[in-house]
Amino acid sequence: MARKKRRQHLTAGELNLTAMIDVAFQLLSFFIITIHPQDVLTNLDVFRPSQESESVPSPAMPNMIRIMIFSNALTLNENPMTFRNMDAVMTQLASHDTTQTILIMCRAESKHKDLVAVLNMCAKLKLTNLSVISSN
Amino acid sequence: MKKQKEEEYLSGNLTAMIDVVFQLIIFFVATISMQDQAMNSGIDLARAPNGKAVTVKDKREIMIDVDKSGRISISRTQLSPNVLLSILKKAMAESQGVQVPIIIRGDANARHVGIKAVMDACATAGIYKIKFSALKEKGS
Repeated sequence: MARKKRRQHLTAGELNLTAMIDVAFQLLSFFIITIHPQDVLTNLDVFRPSQESESVPSPAMPNMIRIMIFSNALTLNENPMTFRNMDAVMTQLASHDTTQTILIMCRAESKHKDLVAVLNMCAKLKLTNLSVISSN
Repeated sequence: MKKQKEEEYLSGNLTAMIDVVFQLIIFFVATISMQDQAMNSGIDLARAPNGKAVTVKDKREIMIDVDKSGRISISRTQLSPNVLLSILKKAMAESQGVQVPIIIRGDANARHVGIKAVMDACATAGIYKIKFSALKEKGS
């Protein structure tokens, strides 16, 4: 004689939660798999001299560090440099005075990442008196 | 009677687990950031590991994107330099002379000429304090 299958008899007001628990675990798995750590961003401050401002740093000012960014080269006070050399020189200059004026002149064809690299270097050395000028 | 008690004991144990599962789901749903979609405009930011991490965001700030082709956009809406200038002038007029924070998100391989167009528009509108957004740490 075949055994009768036992059926789960639910009384009024009871719910079968099995399917809901399955969905809950699936949702949890989805979120655990798809979550990823966000990128940490930073904002690099610069000051752009106004045309009317009297405090426009003149390139001829003494004790001013002039960094020129070309499409494939860098100069510091008209001396050609690599990033590594510039880092060493700037570290030495920053050890004397971190408030000196840094004038960054970018050529039109230079890449933005080079400007950011110079600003990053200045941030590392706590040089905050920065101005960015565009040159053709 | 004993079997019924065992069944009740087993079903009682699952309640706390279901609570924890739902709390975890709520946590993950709450921590998903929708802002990523607005910022993910295909711009590959340059690296600046020495900059200070952004912890507090100014609600007034205007974020201007410049992609590697030099196209200017705000929240994925492409703009010409003239339209950008009118937006910045309006923002300055509404802020009653208080400097509006401007953040330029430039692609690492963008030419400076594109960034210059944004900077010139800012200068014309009377904004001289700008910030360049960069990547301090890559998340993944």
